[in-house]
Amino acid sequence: MSSDAAATAPPSADALAIEYAIPPRQRFNPLRWVRREPFGAFGLLLIIIVAVGAAFAPLLNTTDPQQFATGAPLSAPCINCSSSDVEHRAWNEGVEWREHRLFGTTPRGRDLWSRVLYGGRVSLKIGMATVLIGTLVGTVVALLASYAGGVVDFAVGRLADMLIAIPGILLALTLHTAIGSDLPDLPGMSSGEFTLVIAISAFFMPGTYRIMRGMVLELRESQYVESAQVVGASNFRIMWRHIAPNMFGLMIVITSISLPAAILTEASLSFLGIGVEVGTPSWGADLSGDSRQFFTQGWWLAVFPGLALSMTVFGFNIFGDSLRDTLDPRLRGRI
Amino acid sequence: MTGYIIRRLIAVPFMLLGISFILFMLLYVRPGSAAFSVVGSVMTDPAAQARFEEKFGLNDPWYEQYGNWLWTALSKGSFGDTLTPPHDSVTAQLIEALPNTIEIGLITIIIAAIFGIFVGVLSAIRRNSVLDYLARGVTIAGLSIPNFWIAVLLVTLPAAWWAWTPIASEWDSFTANPFRNLYHAIWPAMVLALASAAGTARLVRTSMLEVFYSDYVRTARAKGLREGSVVWSHVFRNSLIPVITLIGLQTGAVLGGVVIAEQIFAIPGLGRLTVSAVIAQDYPLVLGAIMLFAVVFMIVTLIVDILYTVVDPRIRY
Repeated sequence: MSSDAAATAPPSADALAIEYAIPPRQRFNPLRWVRREPFGAFGLLLIIIVAVGAAFAPLLNTTDPQQFATGAPLSAPCINCSSSDVEHRAWNEGVEWREHRLFGTTPRGRDLWSRVLYGGRVSLKIGMATVLIGTLVGTVVALLASYAGGVVDFAVGRLADMLIAIPGILLALTLHTAIGSDLPDLPGMSSGEFTLVIAISAFFMPGTYRIMRGMVLELRESQYVESAQVVGASNFRIMWRHIAPNMFGLMIVITSISLPAAILTEASLSFLGIGVEVGTPSWGADLSGDSRQFFTQGWWLAVFPGLALSMTVFGFNIFGDSLRDTLDPRLRGRI
Repeated sequence: MTGYIIRRLIAVPFMLLGISFILFMLLYVRPGSAAFSVVGSVMTDPAAQARFEEKFGLNDPWYEQYGNWLWTALSKGSFGDTLTPPHDSVTAQLIEALPNTIEIGLITIIIAAIFGIFVGVLSAIRRNSVLDYLARGVTIAGLSIPNFWIAVLLVTLPAAWWAWTPIASEWDSFTANPFRNLYHAIWPAMVLALASAAGTARLVRTSMLEVFYSDYVRTARAKGLREGSVVWSHVFRNSLIPVITLIGLQTGAVLGGVVIAEQIFAIPGLGRLTVSAVIAQDYPLVLGAIMLFAVVFMIVTLIVDILYTVVDPRIRY
């Protein structure tokens, strides 16, 4: 009899007060994290090196990465080589000439050190924008569709199945050609880069959607959502205050794990010649076509862009792994 | 079980219909007609271009074009003719290219599974030893080094140092010369297998370690089983379930990798065909090729789902 009364009675003020209370925060100690996750910390260090190199490229002894003939074509890496190779001066009459060519020059006389640093800007920018859009869209669609249920949920699920069945790089390729040059230039991002971002992010949406949908379904069955429903919280409130915050950790994990994949996809597309505009410094493009014929004459052409790319992806991979273990150890082996 | 397989097989044509529609719309909305990009470089004569557009029905509204394409596909089983110069049938080109791609994909998956499981098991049995740390370092590096970089280095550097290159002067089909064909195919497969093997090894290690500490393994040890049979018949078999999932998931990545590897190693497969078709906006060819990729992917995922029930009889559909 008392349970009947509880079910029909309006939610008490106490229950609502508990529902709306702000949960206590746990302190995060970075030093303890470094000691517990040394690999993750090393990954973070690599990421910071790449990010600093990209962000402060103009200060790090670089020139315009697109400028031809800052040294003789295909000159080997050297530090302070002004006295050793006089013919470079002769070859470049009237061009501002560089004494430190840490990574050598390309077949067209561009400075590879500058191209690698500025290439990091392109890679990080496209990678982050891609993953941000892909994860955000995937999550929001998962939230809305699984809440709407029925036909919507079914249709979105089948759409995701179809997109997953197409190899990511071919999907990106097709989208890239389909969008063409219709997109506007954004501040800090050319239309070509924006096109690339949209094309690659389509590749991450279905996967994110699937994982997130599973999470939403799991959370909807949880007791705190049930109790929020009992005290009369609205659908929107449950989605926004109870389900979304609990997906945040998973979102960060998916973002950090997708980021290296996004950077690799950008590099692969640029490598195939369907990425950034010709001449834009990009690690993938610098390993392809033009310079590939010269690899046998200049080992630095093959080594440095690939090394920069591998280092970045490696850093993000191990950092992402330890982030996953820190934030949500249950996910180990699942993503 | 049979019912489940039949349900999955029934879904395949509907998925393909959806994929073809999405791809068609993507290629159709491209600014400027397909004829322009295909013909523009070849013909400058407007009359010739008009005739070309007429012949391939490129002036029709989109629903007519898609309807025509769908009708020929369903009634004659033909995916039309390519828009690019040879103008022969799409199906013929696909059939010619498909075996090469499947061959490389299969060799890749086999190499990846063998090496991945071997390294993973070793790493789990000798956990926290030098060997384990070495294996873990190598696997995470294998996951991070882009396969196209390794492929490019493999193609160029040995050629420079020892005048040797993995690229044969021409591709021999398996039926014509199986030995040379395998010799050519093994290099791209090994490059692609590196990342997959690394992923497999990592997962085998974690999932074996999880099983190592489970109750039934303790029971098996307690009843006096030899360590070897504990590892093989209790730990290994139970840790295979997530590994099979991963190998299935990797098929997508391998198919994507094949696209690039075929470019670098000059192999006339489906990937190279698709990339050139996308660039030329030869939409009948793109539609056919990508749908073929999707079919391969769906078949593999179905096989993986069936394998589950073999490895883990608890799973029923």
